[in-house]
Formats: sequence, C-alpha cells, structure tokens
Amino acid sequence: MQRFVREPLVHFLLLALLVFGAYGLVSRREPATATIDVTQAKIEQLAGLFAKTWQRPPTAQELKGLIDDYVKEDIYVREALRLGLDTDDEVIRKRLRMKMEFVSDAEAEATPPTDIQLQAYMDAHPEAFRKPPQIAFEQVYINPDKHSPDASAAATALLEPLRKDASYAATAGDPSLLPPSLPLTDQQGIAQIFGDDFVAAIITLAPGEWEGPVSSAVGLHLVKVTDRAPGILPALGDIRPAVEREWMNDHRNAVEQQRFDDLLKRYKVTVEPISADGSPPP
Amino acid sequence: MKDLTRGLAWLGALYLLGVSMSAMAGAQDPVASDDIGIINPEAAAHAFPKRGFSPYAGRNYPTRVFWGDQHVHTGWSADAGAFGATLGPEDALRFARGEQVTSSLGEPAKLSRPLDWVAVTDHSDAAGVIFEIRDGNPNLMIDPIAKRWHDMMASGQGVQAASEMIAAQSNNKVPSVMKDPRLAMSIWEKNTSIMEKYNEPGRFTAFIGYEWTSNAGGGDNLHRNVIYRDGKDKADEMLPMTTFDSENPEDLWKWMSKWEEKTGGSLLAIPHNGNLSNGKMFALNTFEGNPLTRDWAETRARWEPMYEITQIKGDGETHPSLSPSDEFANFEKWDAANLAGVPKQPGMIEHEYARQALAEGLKLEASLGVNPFKFGFVSGTDTHTGLATAEEDNFFGKHTGVEPSPHRWEHDVIKTPQVTVKGWQMAAAGYTGVWATENTREAIWDALKRKEAYSTTGPRMLVRFFGGWDFVPADAQTRMPADAGYAKGVPMGGDLQTAPAGKSPTFLAAAMKDPLSGNLDRMQIIKAWADASGKLQEKVYDVAWSDGRKPGADGKLPPVGNTVDVDNATWTNTIGSPELISVWKDPDFDPKLRAVYYVRVIEIPTPRWTAYDQKRFGIKMSENVPMTVQERAYTSPIWYTP
Repeated sequence: MQRFVREPLVHFLLLALLVFGAYGLVSRREPATATIDVTQAKIEQLAGLFAKTWQRPPTAQELKGLIDDYVKEDIYVREALRLGLDTDDEVIRKRLRMKMEFVSDAEAEATPPTDIQLQAYMDAHPEAFRKPPQIAFEQVYINPDKHSPDASAAATALLEPLRKDASYAATAGDPSLLPPSLPLTDQQGIAQIFGDDFVAAIITLAPGEWEGPVSSAVGLHLVKVTDRAPGILPALGDIRPAVEREWMNDHRNAVEQQRFDDLLKRYKVTVEPISADGSPPP
Repeated sequence: MKDLTRGLAWLGALYLLGVSMSAMAGAQDPVASDDIGIINPEAAAHAFPKRGFSPYAGRNYPTRVFWGDQHVHTGWSADAGAFGATLGPEDALRFARGEQVTSSLGEPAKLSRPLDWVAVTDHSDAAGVIFEIRDGNPNLMIDPIAKRWHDMMASGQGVQAASEMIAAQSNNKVPSVMKDPRLAMSIWEKNTSIMEKYNEPGRFTAFIGYEWTSNAGGGDNLHRNVIYRDGKDKADEMLPMTTFDSENPEDLWKWMSKWEEKTGGSLLAIPHNGNLSNGKMFALNTFEGNPLTRDWAETRARWEPMYEITQIKGDGETHPSLSPSDEFANFEKWDAANLAGVPKQPGMIEHEYARQALAEGLKLEASLGVNPFKFGFVSGTDTHTGLATAEEDNFFGKHTGVEPSPHRWEHDVIKTPQVTVKGWQMAAAGYTGVWATENTREAIWDALKRKEAYSTTGPRMLVRFFGGWDFVPADAQTRMPADAGYAKGVPMGGDLQTAPAGKSPTFLAAAMKDPLSGNLDRMQIIKAWADASGKLQEKVYDVAWSDGRKPGADGKLPPVGNTVDVDNATWTNTIGSPELISVWKDPDFDPKLRAVYYVRVIEIPTPRWTAYDQKRFGIKMSENVPMTVQERAYTSPIWYTP
C-alpha cells in the first residue's frame, strides 16, 4: 500500500493556478525563507494515524512516503495561505465554521444534565415524550376489484360468519400482503400500513366484536379491535436517554447561539440596503 | 485573482459533488393466476395442512418491512457544505425519525411518515482527525496544559481554549499526550457518538457508516457506502478508509477485512451510480486492468452483497440501448458522462447497469467458479441536504443549491464544458424496504447481507418474492402468502439449485400499493441469463396486472392509462390495482443454464416532483421536462444454479 496522496483534480487545478495564475505575484515577492521541522512527535503521529487505518506500523518506505507527503502538503498549505487561496474557498470556510461549532458543542456537552434539570424539561415538554395511544386489532380484507360492483355488500356478508366462528378469520376474505392482525400499535404505525382513513375509522370501533366494513387506501376491511392502550407519559427513569438527548439538543443550540451572540458583539456589521420586498439587488 | 480562486473553489466543489455526487408468457401460462375469488375454509384446508388456533405460532420469518435510506450526506461532507448545507448528522437523524427540521435554506421540512432506519454516509475523506479535547479523558488530564483547556471548555471558555489550542498547534507546543493517535479526536468519533445516541433498538435504527468516494481516473464513479453492523465501540477502533489512502476498491475490501479481523464486527459495502462510472462499475477486469480471478470474485461477492440500483443521480437498472424491447427501460437516465463530465464512449454502458451485470455474473461464475456480481438491490437518496426525501411531493433535491425554489428545475446540477445536467433531471428516489424480524442494527444489517430487501423509487410498496419448485396457484390465494413462500421456497436473495427432473422454477410474487401513492399497473418478473453460446439474454414477463387488460398481437400489455392532472399535480386511483399476487412458472426454462430472476413492480402514472414544483411555484417549465412518473420497485433476485 502506498501512502502517496493521489492528487484530486481540485489540487491539480489549484496547482495549475499557482503555476500560471500566480507566478507573477510570487515572483514579485522576496523568496520565502521558512523552515519545516518534521519533529519526532509529528513522525509518531503520522505513523500512528497510518496504523489506526491499516492496523500495522508503516514500513520504512511507507514512513518516508508519509513524511515526504506531509512536507509537500505543508509547503502547499503555507504557499496557499501566503497567496490568500484560503479566502473565498467555500470548502475551507465551511470546515472552519464546522470546527467553531464543534468547539461550542464540546463546551455544551462537557456538563451532563441532572435529574432535576431533566424532570423540569419533561414537565415543560410533555408532548414530546408522551407514548401515543395504541390499538391492537384483527382484520379481514376484501379486494374491491374482485367483488364489483358491490364490494361493500360482499364484505357485510362476511360479518355474521366471522362473529359466529372465531376460527373463520384465519381464512376469510381475499389474499393480501396486509397483516391479518397487529399487536398494540400507535396510530402512526397503523397508518404506515393501512393509511390515515383506516385509522380514523377504527379509532371509534368498539372492541371485542367484528365490525365494518371500513375502507382503506387498498380496499375494504372487517375489523375486530382486540385491545387498546391509552397514551401515557412515562416516568423519567424509563426514558432517561431520550430526555437527555432532547435536553442536550436544546442546550447545545442555546450554547451555540450564546457563543455566537458573544462573538457578534465583537463585530460591527453593515449591510447595504436591499429592496423593500427583500429581493436581491438587480 | 479573487475571481479565479472563487471559480476554482466552485470547480472543486463541483468535483467533490461528483465525488459524492418480452413475451407475455405469464398471460398464457395456465399456472399464472390473477383472478382469484374469496377463499373459503374448504379451499384453504385443501391448500394447507390444518394448523393450531393461532395462525402465528411457529412463525419466525420476517413479517414486516422496515423502510430506510442507506445514503444520506450532511453538511459534514465537504461538497455538501460547499453547496450551503448547514444541517449536520444530528439534524439528518431527527428528520429521518419523522421530526420537523429547518432546511439549510430556512424551509421547514418533515417526512410524510418517519423512516425506520437510516445510514448517514458522509464522505470519509472529510472524517479525519481534528484536535479536540475529549471530555475529562483521564489520560489527557494528567497533562497540565490539556487539563487547563478542558477546564476552560467546561467553564464556558471553549472558544478561548480553542484559540489556545490552535496557537499551540501552530507553535508545535501541543502537549505530547495529545499526539497519541488514540486521543486525537476525529470527526469520525463525533459522528459515531451521534449515531449511538439516536440508535434506539426496536424503534429507530441509526447505522454507523461512511461513503468511500473513489473517482478514479477523473470522475469514474466507484463510490461505496460502508455500513457497520456494530456500534461505536468497534467502529472507533479504526479510522475509515479514505480515497487519500487508495482509490482502488480492492484496497477498501482489504481495509474491511482488517477491520473485521481486529474488531470481530461485520461490515458490508454498497456500490452506487455505475451509470456514472464510464464502464468501470462492472468492468471485466480489475482496477489495475488485470484479468478477473476467482479470488477477486469471491472478495467482491463477500463484501458487496447489495447494489444501490436507484437514487437521485439516476436509475441504474438497465438502459434502453441494452434492453430495446423493455418499454420501461428508459427511466430517469443520467447516461451522458461520468461524474466529472467526461463523455461516455461506445462500450462503456454495457458495464454500468445492474441487469447486465447480473447476467454477466452468471457467465463469470461459469468461468471463475464464483459469481462476483451476485447482489441484491437497495435504494438510497444520496441527498447532500441532510434531508432523506424520496417522495415526489416532498422532494428537497440533490444538494442545497437545488432545494425547493422556482428556478431549481433549470439550475445546473453538474456542469462541465461537455456535459450539463439540469435540475429537472434529478430523480426523487429512493427508499429501501427490508424484510427483517425487528428494527435493530443487527436484524436489518443481516437482512441486507442475505439480500432480503428491495429497492423502490420512493413509494413504500410491500413486495414479496419467493422461488421454489412446487408453487401452485393456490399459494397465491391464502391469507398469508408468506407462509407458503417460506415453507415451499426461498425469499428474495435466495438460491435455487439443481432442478428436480422435469421441473421448472416457480415463483410466488406479491405486491401491495403504498397507501399514499398510486395504484399498481403491473408486476413483472425479469429473467437474465447467458445462453449456451455465452451471449447475454434477458426477458421481461408480465405476471400480474390491473384492469383486466389483454396483451396485444405483439404480446405487449397495453399501457394502463394516465389520470394525472399536471396543472393541479393530482391523480386518481381509478385505474390500476391496490394489490397484485401471482404464481408464475418459467416457460422457457433450460435446466442446464444458470439464470437470475427478479421482480419489478410498476405503479400507474403519478405527478413527478417537477409537476408539484410547477404547481406550487406557479411556473411553467419547458416542454422537454417530464411531468409524470411511473414509480417502481425492484426486488433482490433469486438465482438458479444447475
């Protein structure tokens, strides 16, 4: 494995720029006199990073390649900075911005929240943590394509046999990929499979008996609601990781905003007038 | 000078984006059956031995599809950031879980329905080390300078600490303890921490993953997503492979092998966008131009069980020039060039698309002993906005430069002197459906590994596909087709071996519409093989369809029709079927020849995202912009080996 960097096109183009575009600029200046010390610590770090990817130390030749490449990169970076090539580079700017955000993140995450803070957060945002109500049911599917013109009548005709014979549900109705029954599932989960109309219809069904027909996006259904569970707000102890995650998310955003506001105070920002409707200047 | 720099930065960003960026036999075959009435208990008893009261007892196969996107970039990908994406992995995860987030351009964004899982796959090239002090790390705390920085951060002076760190680094006065690579904070470790926080077994799966983005030879797309089965503890043991390390996929496979040896964990890689590889994705020689070997084929098949067949940058199933008799082949094509805009030459397209690769794989298996292209199908969005949107009416685009706006359709997504790809050419695709036993990293990853998963262009259709020797029409008439499927055959991704004397393979296929999307037009089984002379062959069989249509004299099923009202971006489900189920037997089976079969499900026409944009922004796009789409699903194949 060679650790020689294969220069991406962008580097090539930047190099071309250096040679052709900036030659005059460079030549007008005094030649740079700078030293690059590749310290023992740096060599250890290069070798260490290689080992972290490849799970073995570099060979002598690879290490030389790593060092040569580091020197090359360092010279390019220094020259690029000298030429101002870092300014107006979207990639570099975004990366620096990201690192500033990381610094603020690290600060926000340095102190974990206490139970008291988390309980207060839960009290303030109960809806975010409430377990939605759930419904369990069985269903028998009637495919309207196979019972035109009156699928509803075909469905209704099945109600009586279903109510009389508990084992009939296992075979009644039309073939389908739909699950014949769902365990306790929240409305969103049911809607994922059966659609919103179906959910709206079964919410009102009395449990314990075959009812219907109920229509869904795929056809008609006879439905027996078998169980219901009300929505509850769990105790903090049962959902602490989720509460901590949400708390931290808010906290991190607040800290970042605070740090940014502090920085903003150090700048005087002037914006030239824009048109009244906010559209860009012509 | 400044302008030139900006131009180059733009070009660089563009480059990085690039980086990231039949016969109707079914109708004639007496085994095929679509017209099935209500089944009664007698008929069911006839089809199946009597079971106990609970129909679910003893059932341990996957009964649910878990929906996800294995290909999401955030602002942490340098190219995404360059286009203005400010959302990070945390935003991407919250969005995928169904929460509302604010897009990089300030637009509120929310999915119609949550996803069950996601893999955030930022480019590994940007996942490298940055100096950062980890909170209270005891090894760091023994160094007074590191401890000072930590305390500064803890007491709210993070920015000052950072500037001191930067100064120290530039003066080479960084405490030696921080030069220990185990302590050097990488973006990778930050990424894996976030994935860990949002991964909730049973509710939402956040895979650890990255994209290794090789653009060999100047833009030939050999990209792979690496997906981890395991958690942070193992993922952090090695830094991800970058293209600075190597652009050769064989080196990625070596890296994966090393990682597994070291950690005892499991990885798989998912290639994508062969359509932008200029003939390299399924080339018949190695990266370095050498002949393929058995060892190479084994290695590729081991690490790459899945292929991303459809995404925003085009559909990769097949190409009209390769499948001239397939009227659905010309679908969302990006076929002019590679990612850097290098135009395609004759002979490249043959090695870029999945259907031909499946057939080529059978031929290679005959000569090498192993099929290197034995893959199933997944989708991804490859979004660079952090927003995993694949629905036509909620499409946030390839990157932040083409997030919803009145002009995005005419913006350039890729622009080089030879090739321009316009905004309207983006495909709002796609999601992956996984038949897994539960929503956990392990269960979903295992299903991907065994190829029990399928691709759609966005809608969440349910699709089952089983192969066996003894399926009969009654198997399609039961309440639980999967019971027969698993009992008598293998699911998608499986193998059929050595045909019993006189038997042809039979297939049980079933599809159900997405409740929020269009009805189904037809379900097809596509067969690919190499004939006795070694020539690649393919055939598309319609096996079930809607509205009682009859194939024409040319054997072709008439089009399903079109209810789309483009001006209002609406349609009606007055055509098409909500469900299609069929048992089909291969009428042209030759037991001596290897063959591969997969299902393609086609929806009725619905409004394309361009129609929604036109309506919402009150604009008029040019005539050449397609306004309707027939969404589809591709299942992972089933292989027959003599």
